[in-house]
Amino acid sequence: MSMLDVVDLEVWFDLPGGGELHAVQGVDLAVERGDRLGLVGESGCGKTTVMMAMMGLLPSNATVSGQVLLDGVDILAHGERSVRSHRWVDLAMVFQGAMNAFNPVQRIGRQIREPMELHRTASGAAARRRTNELLEMVGMPVSAADRYPHELSGGMRQRAALAMALACEPRVLFADEPTTALDVMVQAQILQQLGQLVDELGLALVLVTHDLPVVAAVCDRATVMYAGRIAEQATMDALFHDPRHPYTRLLFASTPDLYGEEPVVSIPGSPPRLDRPLTGCPFAARCPHAFDPCREQQPALATLAAGHLAACHLNTRAGVTA
Amino acid sequence: MRIVRERPAATVGAVLLALFVLMAVFAQWLMPYDPHQQVGPVFGTPSTAHPLGLDDGGYDVLSLIIQGGRISMEVGFAATVVAIVLGGGVGILSGYFGGATDTVLMRITDYFLVIPDIPLMIIIAAVWGPSLGHIVLVIGMLLWTGTARVIRSQVKSVRERVYVQRARSLGASHTRIILRHVLPQVAPLLVANTVLTIAVAIFDETALAFLGLSDPTAITWGTMIEHAFDRTAVSAGAWWAVVPPGVAVSLVIMACSLLGQAIEDATNPRLRVAHLSIRGFRIRPVRPARAEA
Amino acid sequence: MHGSVYLARKVGLAAGTVFVAITLNFILFRAAPGDAVSNLSRVPHASPQLKEALRHEFGLDQSKWAQYLLYLKELAHGNLGISFADQQPVSHDLATALGNTVPMVLLGTVIAILFGVFTGTVAAWRRGGITDQVNTNVAIAFYSFPTQWLGLMLLILFAGVLPTSGMTDEFAIDPSWWAHLQDVLKHMILPSATMALTLYGEYTLIARSAMLETLSEDYILTARAKGLSNARIVRRHAFRNALLPTTTMVALSLGYVVGGAILIETVFSWPGIGRAVYQAVLQRDYPMLQGAFLVLTLSVVVFNLIADLLYFKLDPRVTE
Ligand SMILES: Nc1ncnc2c1ncn2[C@@H]1O[C@H](COP(=O)(O)OP(=O)(O)OP(=O)(O)O)[C@@H](O)[C@H]1O
Ligand SMILES: [Mg+2]
Repeated sequence: MSMLDVVDLEVWFDLPGGGELHAVQGVDLAVERGDRLGLVGESGCGKTTVMMAMMGLLPSNATVSGQVLLDGVDILAHGERSVRSHRWVDLAMVFQGAMNAFNPVQRIGRQIREPMELHRTASGAAARRRTNELLEMVGMPVSAADRYPHELSGGMRQRAALAMALACEPRVLFADEPTTALDVMVQAQILQQLGQLVDELGLALVLVTHDLPVVAAVCDRATVMYAGRIAEQATMDALFHDPRHPYTRLLFASTPDLYGEEPVVSIPGSPPRLDRPLTGCPFAARCPHAFDPCREQQPALATLAAGHLAACHLNTRAGVTA
Repeated sequence: MRIVRERPAATVGAVLLALFVLMAVFAQWLMPYDPHQQVGPVFGTPSTAHPLGLDDGGYDVLSLIIQGGRISMEVGFAATVVAIVLGGGVGILSGYFGGATDTVLMRITDYFLVIPDIPLMIIIAAVWGPSLGHIVLVIGMLLWTGTARVIRSQVKSVRERVYVQRARSLGASHTRIILRHVLPQVAPLLVANTVLTIAVAIFDETALAFLGLSDPTAITWGTMIEHAFDRTAVSAGAWWAVVPPGVAVSLVIMACSLLGQAIEDATNPRLRVAHLSIRGFRIRPVRPARAEA
Repeated sequence: MHGSVYLARKVGLAAGTVFVAITLNFILFRAAPGDAVSNLSRVPHASPQLKEALRHEFGLDQSKWAQYLLYLKELAHGNLGISFADQQPVSHDLATALGNTVPMVLLGTVIAILFGVFTGTVAAWRRGGITDQVNTNVAIAFYSFPTQWLGLMLLILFAGVLPTSGMTDEFAIDPSWWAHLQDVLKHMILPSATMALTLYGEYTLIARSAMLETLSEDYILTARAKGLSNARIVRRHAFRNALLPTTTMVALSLGYVVGGAILIETVFSWPGIGRAVYQAVLQRDYPMLQGAFLVLTLSVVVFNLIADLLYFKLDPRVTE
């Protein structure tokens, strides 16, 4: 049992015209203290949904099944009721598009202090001191506490969002595309800071992005998602040098490396629709190596080596390497 | 229409409005009596012969409601046409051309947005003299500001979209771009505004009529309420002469509001997802097979 | 620094609006075809002397442009002309009437705002639930009732229970100020209630959609993630933000309030500026109409300006 375990997570969304969209289909994750786990995949593969489910933040048209175990206790057991006391003290989050994560009519400092006072981790002068500490930690002047969100640049707001997420010393930090809207220089700075903070504070990081160089720079392990399922999970090293799922390989090939020398190849085709049942491997239609079983049977997620899992029929067919 | 299917309120509005329009169109055949003729005792109580009773002149109230609805809705629709042509025109020109055109038109719109409508309508109607044509013009000329503002901001964003720019670089004329590319994009919003404007126009007609500024010889829902007030229906306790025209106006306004609101909601994606709602997500029990693991 | 620019712009808009209203007044009454004043034969019961006096006062023997300047000059001195009906200065009549209108309208409007914002917020929070359905539908119904008709309904319902006409009991003999105040308040109940009810529906709908829009903002999700309860999120984060568009919309509805006042005062014979408008229409008392229009526009402009100041207080972003 790890610190945070996700067991067989499934999420369905009710669609406005009737019908359901099966956004997450049986995802398992394990996060230990000090882990830096990347969650990657194309847009719409369910990354955000997985994180939202873990914090119990799904909208009212969602249905969830599965368990989210924190120290072995299912925090999702009673929905919002059971998860609320864990929010921000155990699990905190930097949101996708955190530009608008701040209330425009309140000063930054007050919004950073708010969870401390709510969860009684600090109050009054101590909370103010802690706020200044946090701002310095993310490389901001303490005067920023008295600013309104619109007075800060995008990068500054992102740092402030990070400071806010660390307010109650959470054990797990979720970061959903924390740097997408920023320019490359600022991105690099913030990511470096993020990595450093995670080390210093000894918390676990789950970083969601579809930007592989970013994951490579920050994480030591990654989970590759495709169409709501896990395609492959391994150390960054193994994913780069020994990918065992064609999707992973194509994904890595489609991303320019950090120096931008290789040409960008995007994967042809598009992911399957999730609002109808699917037979076979969800990637089969786009896979250059697809063969008969791929269209008939869904591949199970199999352990190939210690800590290396992949869901591909090629791995189980003798004599063929993926 | 998809909107009507997804929103029951819109269906109610659409059906109600359709019923009233049909009533106005077939008024001739629907009226049980001639609305210009005394057909019974003054303030005769509702009976099977006169389901809504008789008014201060002994006219059949049901027939008056049907005939009045026809005129009221004609006035409301006509005024709306004026308002939408003006407001839509100003909004499109302003949003599409921008620059000085936009500044001048929007400044004018801003002034008219603040100047109170009904008093200005009252003055113009008083100066021009009471007539239905004047009422139509007056209402139409003062109800365009809201439409102009909404349409302008929508057109501005449409204009920035790639294909309009591409159409322009291919040498299409402004008229062509507006008709082919801009108008279809703002059409739903224009429809929503039209429906909402009809409600306000009918409302304003009753207000002007109540102050004696409508054609005194025309039968409209507005003049019916006015007569009920002026001619002692209230003190005579003849509620059946007061209640029906008000209910009729309210129903039409309600129908327009429901329908207009629904169209507007459907075109505004921001209102679709609320991050906070009483009902949280649901939990499906864990499948037994995996739960033991 | 930037804040002062915002304020200057708003004051400029207000001044511009007043100027446009003043000019419209002139054009409608003097310059437009069928204008009222040059066509003095339409003034009822005018003696030849009155006509002569009017012709001289309005400078009708001069050019339109000279007339306009004369009109502006007189206006600057607070001269709104003489009422055709009672031969009193219009400004004097209007001052009394305005004094009677303001408390009645203010009471109704403030109640409508408080009540409407409350029900609208609750409805948005409970979106889709039974509370929302009931609140929204009742609001739409009240929004749909013609003001004068709703007034008549209340009049029929409460005749005999509450005073339905005028502002004081004409037959009270030398009442103490306390008795007088009570009397006025009693007379105010029905007109103010009509005002409150017609506005309440609209304000509920405005507040509801403002709140819904706010609840779809990202910072609401942040607040939830922080572990705040729903009630606390609405109180701490959503409410003030939803108040912003509500303020603007309420300010824009003031013209509607003024229109409502005219109808309500007519129904309940409340001796205010709205009733003055009604009587001026009946008697084709143009100077009175002109003056009343100006005063009504001015009050809408002033309250709009107040709303803008409030917005400025509520939203730190307007200094941008
Ligand atoms: N509230 C919702 N209602 C219906 N469908 C939804 C909802 N939220 C997400 N989805 C759908 O669920 C699937 C997964 O969405 P999700 O946002 O988790 O993807 P993602 O991997 O985070 O993508 P991105 O990289 O674009 O952020 C998508 O197909 C999306 O359309
Ligand atoms: Mg996402």
